[in-house]
Parts: sequence; C-alpha cells; structure tokens
Amino acid sequence: MTTTAQTSDPTKRRHLLRRMLPARGPSNLVLGIIAIVWLVPTVSLLVISLRPEADFGVSGWWKALLDPASLTFSNYRVLFDQGFVAGGLLDSLMTSIEITVPATLLVVFFACFAGHSLVFGKWRGRDVVFLTVVGLMVVPVQVALIPVVQFYHELGNLFGLNPYGTIPGVIIFHVAFGLPFGIFLMRNFMSGIPMDLLEAARMEGAGEWKVFYRIVLPLALPALASLAIFQFIWVWNDLLVALVFLGGNAHTPLTVFLYDQNHELQANYWIISTGAIVSVIVPLIVFFSFQRYFVRGVLAGAVK
Amino acid sequence: MSGSTINAKIRTSGHRPWIREHAVSFAFLAPAAIWLLFIVIYPTIDTVRLSLFNESATKFLGLTNYKTVFSTDTILTAFRNNVIWVLIFPFFVTTIGLIFAVLTERIRWATAFKALIVMPIVFSTTASALVWATMLDNSPQIGAVNAAVLTVSDWFNPPGAYPVSATAGQTVANLVGSNAHAEKNSSIVSNSSARAGGMIDIGLEDVSPTTLALLKAQDAVKPQPMSGAITGVVWRAFSPSDPTNKTDILPAELGLPILRLSLVNPQGVSVATTTTTTSGQYKFSNVGTGSYFVELVGSNFSSGFTGISWLGGSSLTPVSGLGQTAQALLSVPLADMAMIITYLWIWAGFAMVLIGAGLASLNREVLEAARIDGAKEWQVFRRVTVPMLAPVLAVVFVTMIINVLKVFDIVLNMASGSSINATPTLAVEIYNDGFTGGVHSGVSSAIAVILFLLVLPAMIMNLKRIKGV
Amino acid sequence: MASVVLRNLTKQYSGNNAPSLEMLNLEIADGEFVCLVGPSGCGKTTALRMIAGLEDVTSGEIEIGGRIVNNLPSRDRDIALVFQSYALYPHLTVADNMSFGLKLRKVPKAEIEEAVQSAAKILDLVDLLKRKPAQLSGGQRQRVALGRALVRDPAVFLMDEPLSNLDAKLRVQTRAEIAQLHHRLQATMLYVTHDQVEAMTMADRIAVLNLGVLEQYGTPRELYNFPNNQFVAGFIGSPSMNFVSMRINRDVERVYLTGMSADSNIKVTLTDEQSDILRKSDCSDIVVGVRPEHLIEESIDHAGFSAVAEVEVIEFLGNDEHIHATSDDTDLVAILNAHSSVARGDSITLSAPHDTVHFFHPTSGLRLN
Repeated sequence: MTTTAQTSDPTKRRHLLRRMLPARGPSNLVLGIIAIVWLVPTVSLLVISLRPEADFGVSGWWKALLDPASLTFSNYRVLFDQGFVAGGLLDSLMTSIEITVPATLLVVFFACFAGHSLVFGKWRGRDVVFLTVVGLMVVPVQVALIPVVQFYHELGNLFGLNPYGTIPGVIIFHVAFGLPFGIFLMRNFMSGIPMDLLEAARMEGAGEWKVFYRIVLPLALPALASLAIFQFIWVWNDLLVALVFLGGNAHTPLTVFLYDQNHELQANYWIISTGAIVSVIVPLIVFFSFQRYFVRGVLAGAVK
Repeated sequence: MSGSTINAKIRTSGHRPWIREHAVSFAFLAPAAIWLLFIVIYPTIDTVRLSLFNESATKFLGLTNYKTVFSTDTILTAFRNNVIWVLIFPFFVTTIGLIFAVLTERIRWATAFKALIVMPIVFSTTASALVWATMLDNSPQIGAVNAAVLTVSDWFNPPGAYPVSATAGQTVANLVGSNAHAEKNSSIVSNSSARAGGMIDIGLEDVSPTTLALLKAQDAVKPQPMSGAITGVVWRAFSPSDPTNKTDILPAELGLPILRLSLVNPQGVSVATTTTTTSGQYKFSNVGTGSYFVELVGSNFSSGFTGISWLGGSSLTPVSGLGQTAQALLSVPLADMAMIITYLWIWAGFAMVLIGAGLASLNREVLEAARIDGAKEWQVFRRVTVPMLAPVLAVVFVTMIINVLKVFDIVLNMASGSSINATPTLAVEIYNDGFTGGVHSGVSSAIAVILFLLVLPAMIMNLKRIKGV
Repeated sequence: MASVVLRNLTKQYSGNNAPSLEMLNLEIADGEFVCLVGPSGCGKTTALRMIAGLEDVTSGEIEIGGRIVNNLPSRDRDIALVFQSYALYPHLTVADNMSFGLKLRKVPKAEIEEAVQSAAKILDLVDLLKRKPAQLSGGQRQRVALGRALVRDPAVFLMDEPLSNLDAKLRVQTRAEIAQLHHRLQATMLYVTHDQVEAMTMADRIAVLNLGVLEQYGTPRELYNFPNNQFVAGFIGSPSMNFVSMRINRDVERVYLTGMSADSNIKVTLTDEQSDILRKSDCSDIVVGVRPEHLIEESIDHAGFSAVAEVEVIEFLGNDEHIHATSDDTDLVAILNAHSSVARGDSITLSAPHDTVHFFHPTSGLRLN
C-alpha cells in the first residue's frame, strides 16, 4: 500500500526517530539501570544463601556470578536436616504459617460481615461506626501493646486461659489490628454493589443471610482476595507483635528467627540469608500469583 | 435511593418485624466490633491511664513520666530520629515514585518493571533490613555498595604503590628515613637541593618488604652524576646489619621502584616529573638554571578511598560551635541515612503504583490542551501534570508520614554496635522501655501516647478525605 | 487567520490493517467554517488531531497558512483546539485557564488581562473568572474552553465534538453561538462532529468521511441536493433517505423499473433523461432513494415514486409526524403533516415527484443522475 512506501522514505524515518528518541530511548536506559539496582539486593541474598558458608567475607558474593558452578544447596540442606526442632528454620516456617493462616481467615470473615452490615444494614449510626473504623486504621500497634498484655494476664486470672506467650495470643492481636483496614476495604467495595440487586433478592423473599452469601459475597470476591493477600503479607512479615506476645515461647515465626539469629546469636550470615530466602518465598509466591489483587489493595487502602 | 424507601415500606407494612432485620445486621457487625473494642479501643484508652502511673501501674504519678520522656537523652534522640525520618523519607519516596511512574508510562516493559519495584513491599522489613545491612557492610568483600564505590573511586583516585593507611594510625612522616621531610599535602620533599649535574638521594623506612617483593625491587644503586641532569636514588634505608644507619646505602638495601617524583623549584612549583626504576634510580634531564628539590608526590602514599561506614556510629553534623546536647540533636547519623535508603527500596513501589494510577486516570486531553497552548514537555509536567496529581501525591505523602512515624523493624534489625544508640525511634523506645527485662508500663505508655498524638493529624486528614468522598 | 490544506493525508496505526485515514485531500479557505462529519471511527478525529500535531503523520502533508507543519510541535502551529471533554486545567481558575497559553508565550500582563476580559465579555464569563472548573456547569465549562481558544487568537480554530457533552437544549443554543462567533471573528474553523445536523446548520462546507475515506466535500446544499453516493445521501438528512432496490428492464423502446417481487406495491416511473442514464448503466439492479420529507400521502399523476404501504408506527412531533410504513417488506419513512388522519394499520399511498428521486449504483453506491 502507499503508506508502507511512504514510511520507508528516509527523511520520514529520521523524523520518526527524532520524535521517539528523546522520550523512549533514555527512559529505557534509565529504567533498565534502576531495575538492575532494585534487583541487586534480592539477588545478593539469593546468591549468598547458595554460596558455601566458608566463602562469606572472603570474597564478595558477586564473584560467584562468574562461577555459578560453585553454588550449592548445602546451607539449605543443613538447616532442613535439623528438622522441626524448636528455634530451627523449619519450626519457624511452621509457626509463621500457624499464625498467619488463622489471622488472615478471621479478618476476612469478620470484615466481610461487618462490611455488609455497614453498607446494607439500615440502622442509624452506620456512618459514625465507619468513620471510627477509618480513624482506627492509623492507630499504631504500639499504643495497645502493654494494655493487651495485661488484658491477656487478666483473662488468665479469670478463666485460666492466658493467651500471653501463645500463638493464639499473637493471632488475636493481629486480627484486631487487621480489622480496620479490612472493614474499610470491604465497606468501600461493597458500597459499589448496586442496591437494586439486593432489593431484587429481597423482593423474591431472600433473608439477610441469603442475600449475604448468595449475592454480596460472590460479588465481593475480588476485594476479599485483596484483603486476604494484604493481611497475609502483613502478618507474615510482622516482627513486633510476635516479639511482644510470644514472650519466651520457643516456637517463633520466621521474622523472630531472623532477628534472633542476627542479634542474640550473632549467627553466621549463611543462616540469616538462607532463612531470609525461606521467609521471603511464601509472600513472593502470593504476590506473583495474585499481583492484580495486590495492586488493587494498594490502591484501595492507601491510608494504612 | 428509591429502592430503600420501597424497602422501608415493606418493613413497616409488617411482613417482617424490622427489629429482627436489625438484629441480623448487628450480629454481622458484632465479631468485628467486639474485637476492636477489646483489643484496639479499650487498650488505647488504657494506655493513656497507664502513662500517668508508675512502671508497674500501681501508683499515680501525674505527668512525671512525660517529664522523664523529655529529659531522657535516648528518648530525645528517638524524637530527633523520627524528625529526620519524617523530614527526609516521605519527600524522597514521593519524588522517586513520581519519577518512576512517569518514566514507566513510556516503556513497553512497564508491567515487568513495576512488578520488580513493588516486589520488596512483600518482603518482611526484617529480611530487607538484613539484606541491606550486608549490602552496606564496610568490607569490600561483603558489602556490594562499598565494593562498587571503591571500584569507581580507584578509577579516579587510585591508591599509590606505597599506601599509608590513616585508619591504622600511620602517617607519611613515619616513612621519612634520611634527607627528607613530610609536607602537609602528604608528599615527602628532599632536605637537600641540587643544580644541574648534582644528585639528591632520599632514604625511606617502614616500607613493607611484601610491597617491595610485589614490585620486584632490586638492590639500590647510586647512579652516576650526569651533566645537565639531576640524578639520584630513593631507597629503603634499613639494613638488619646496621639498623641505625639511615644515611648510607648499605648492601642489600633495596631501591624503591615506580615512585612518582617531581622536581620542584624553591617556590614549590613543580617543573618536571619522572618515575623511579626497579633499583630506585631516577633522572631529570635538561634541568634549567637554579637549584631544585625532589618531591615524592602524595599520590604514592594515598591509600585510596576506604569505603563508607554506613552502619557505624558516624554522623553528619551540620553545625559546629554548639553545645553538646544541641550538637547531638542536630546531627544526622549516617546509619539513619542507610535505613532511609533501605526503606526507599522497600516503599518506592508503593508510591509508584499509587501515582501511576493517578497518572493513568488523568484526562489526557488536558495535557494535550497544554501542549497546544504552547507548553514544552517540562512545562506540561510542572504546570499541569503535577498540579493535577496533587491529591494523589498528598495521599502518598501522608501515608508515608504515618508509616515512618511508626518505623520499628528496620531500626531493630539494621542498627548494630555504635549505631544502636544513635538510631532508635519512638517505636523502638516504646519497645525497649516497655518490654526488655519484663513489662514496664509507665514511660513506655507515655511515649506511646505521644506517638498516637503525632499520628492524630494524619487520622483527621483521612477522616476529612473519606467523609468528603 | 490562515488557510489549511491537507494533501494525501494518511494515518496508519501500527497493528491495524486498514489505514484510519486514507489520502485525505482538503482545502479550507481563510475564514471558512468547515465541518468534518461522519460516523464514529471514520477518521475525522484522527484528521483533526494530526492537524493539531497530537498524532504523527504517516504520510501526506499538512499546510497551515502556507507553511508545511508536519514536523512542527503543536505549540508552534498557531492553532487552538476545543476538546470534547473541554480539557480545562482543573487546578486553575477560569481566568488562569484562559491566560495559560499567553503566559507561556510571555505576553505582557496588560495584554493578557485585556484579552481575557474581552473574551469573557463575548462568552458571558465575566462573573465566573475567579471560579475553578469544578464549580462550573457543563455549559459554562464549554464556554471557558471556547474562551481559552479565543484568547489565543490563533490562525485556526479546531473543535473536536465540542457540543456532545451538552444536553439537547443547550446544544442547540451553543450551536448558534458558535456560528455567531465565527461570523464575528471571520476565523478559519475546522469542526469535527458526528451529528450531521450540527454540520448542516453551522458549516460553510462539509467534508463527509467514512471508513477513513473522504466521501464528499461541499456546501450543505450540495450535499443535500446532490449527494455523491448512497452513503452521503443516507448520512445527510434526518430521518434518513429511504432506499428501495429495484430491477431495471431495458426494452427496445423504453427503460422501466419493476419491484423485486412480482406483485410489487412500489412503482417508479422514469423521465426520458433518467431512462437514458439507466439505459447506459452497466447494472441490472438499481437503488432508488427518496427523502422522507419529499413523500406525500396521496397518489399524484405521473409521480416519480409511489408506493402503497401499511402504516406501522406513527411518531407525533407536534407540527408533523413521522410515519413508518412497510411496502414489499421495505421500511419507508415519511414526514407528513400532523393534521393528516393516517392511523396505524391504514394502507396509504406515498408518492414523490420525479425531481426528488435519486438513483444509486447497487455496488459502488455512486449516484447516477
């Protein structure tokens, strides 16, 4: 066609290049460099975890990039071979899962219910409750630590069930501080569900419970996924709450494992790097599998 | 809203008692409400009470804990560090996020780039802190940053053949053996001078035999005088057979190879340069009239750049001549900067994603209108894009202020040795005061209350924003 | 003020097979008001954006005021564009919106002030100068967008469907205002719209585009009375022209048309001139076109077109009514006087005189008479 003949005209092509270059060329270069810089720390962690223990501190990890054959899984093997001993890597992995899964599920459930109530309930004061929740979103966990520790002891005195120093104790706290964001997210998402749908279901005689799980819940699934991912990553990566509420418990999550190795045990870096890779892999899988929902969650909840 | 009025009619017409419908609604809310009441709201209020009591919460103290807060050095340091974080971090993370968001608009692999930048958000701050502690390690065999800095600095400022390590307490003056003295600029200048045809020999000591072996040094030989030239030898004036004789060239004393020499006139101006041979000899030919000194230039002894001690105790202290406390409060620990860099690595993706979404939702036609109105690309960005993005930028900024006020994990994991005392933040102090060696509620609660008050303006902004929506 | 000339202007987006705009040739005289009109996707907005410098030119030339501007950035083309979304700067007041371009060009303050004031007076914006766009109604925003262009005093005004976001009443009002503005400024204006009524009412000349190709360029009257082809005939005029396919019979002594079915209710008689044309044509079928407004409800002698049709829908519009009727499975629309006593289900005769009947080639769509 005539157009192809025209674009191959050299003057035209030069013109095209001139318009593209200042915008695209440098952007690609600059972003390429940034991308590499951003990747370096992660790569370094991975490489160090795969290098023989004895190499650390003798030569820089980047030397191993030239000699990939020197990489080995021995660090992982050593730590995995320890099995599930308290304070070991595998035990910490299990503990992280034991804390994170229930803390995530509970928040998702409660936030869904609460969101439904705040959006589709007809009682007065819903807005006040919602604004309170928004306010609670920024409350630092530090503000509640000591009273909750005391509250836990109080529960122990009254009912003989003291959550302090136990995994449920950590979970209870995480659920509480995950709820404001969860309710905020669910409420905002659910308020986008057309009221007509619910009215139609009610006209057909559906009760509130049926409306919830037949209509609202399926429609809210994307938000639910966002919330679950967020809460999961948040709890998985927490250090402070676990440090405070696990007390002297021998089973600690991965963050505390890393912290202890670094501080109290002055461990060799091979344990830290291997442990850090193990701790990072789970959220990375979650992130790359549900990237869309993660980003949506970031956009929806830019207040935490 | 007509739907809800219909609904109201159904309810009041008595087909279903309205109280039951509310009951379901309340039941839906109840678990969350109870949880929030007991674990968030009540404890927050109780913290205020505890802050007025002693550390075991048995005795009312009034505001004593608050006085303690403002008169304890470590806590004041924590305040300072929070101020540093708040002043530096939100600004930079927003700026970087904006730059990334704008640049990614123009590339084809934006999705991959964004995923890469966002990735660190899902890492635990603990892991990120430990990674960066290694990245920033002093040793060029461990820390990639210092290794890179060293490689670059060695290009521009290569270490000399005879490095003198100031950190090991050495000075250039230690090297002087005979017929020379050290100058302020780390060079060594001969004591004697010579005219054309004359000779100047310089003896040095304390030169490591390993260095000389590496440089393949040979025995020092005094050269013959030459007309029109200044000649001589620079040698290692140390012989086990006669340790105190520094002035004569003894057998088996080695010449100092590849030293860079400069011929200087009495005014100190260099007129010619040369380099010593493997036996330490040198020759300046075609010397003009007048007498000259020989200078061993400072670069011979430069140890090069030794790297930045990011996580050590050093500080950037802006003003001198202040009282000790003021000085301490105004200085910025280098470790703070290291942590802020790490935090930027973690959070830049967050800012980028938010600002990117803001950019994507901008009305492109407005930018085109500006172009047609005569704006160059930079003017479009400065005068239209950025103002239109202002609400998003504000959200990122405020969110990051809240985030940074609570900064904890990174400090706990990155600070080590001397930087532990320099870098605590309020959140760290709450933990240290409250939870190390048993639970102590008083001062820790007071700091927590203050932290809460600091977050309060952000909370109010959020409320206003969301109420306005 | 300046003329605009497009020569073989072509736009090919990478990844698309067909060009979005193909070999467009158009001359817009100095001070002329030209409308680019066509259905969505016809390339009219692409053409406008290329003239504005917002899209790269694949091939061809754009000349504004005697200067080839292909490689000039928008800011150097001396044009103003009124966008469909108005594209007002949301962070600036009305006054600052209007003066933005002049400030960038470092025009002296007093001059800017004067230009803004006079534009504000023309467009009745004086009381709104301190407001932000968010505080304005749709119509007010539209006037600010016009004002922003006006203040710049450009060589050419470009407008991209500027009225499509207004409600019907305001659209009619603003349409008149823009026409008046053009009359007052005597500026070159290129106006893009999908609405042929807008084009017909405002333009000096109209360019009809379809699928990236220029179908016809002429005055509104030319387009209405002498459409080049079936597309233009159907596009211009509302409701659209009625089209009926018929068979051409060529006897030795005469040419006559018959319906597609044996017992057709549609009859078309030909004048001698029309017979000649059809005799010479290469086709066995023909498309006959009659505008709804030319149909009357009575059988007249020697009618060019007549059809017996059954009334299906009557749309009452006050002064007249639109009758939708079927004849031989063909839908016909007629505009009749509202006083007619036609009712749904009636069988009526619709006819039109010879000189209002058009003939189109069945495959190329070109008009034959």
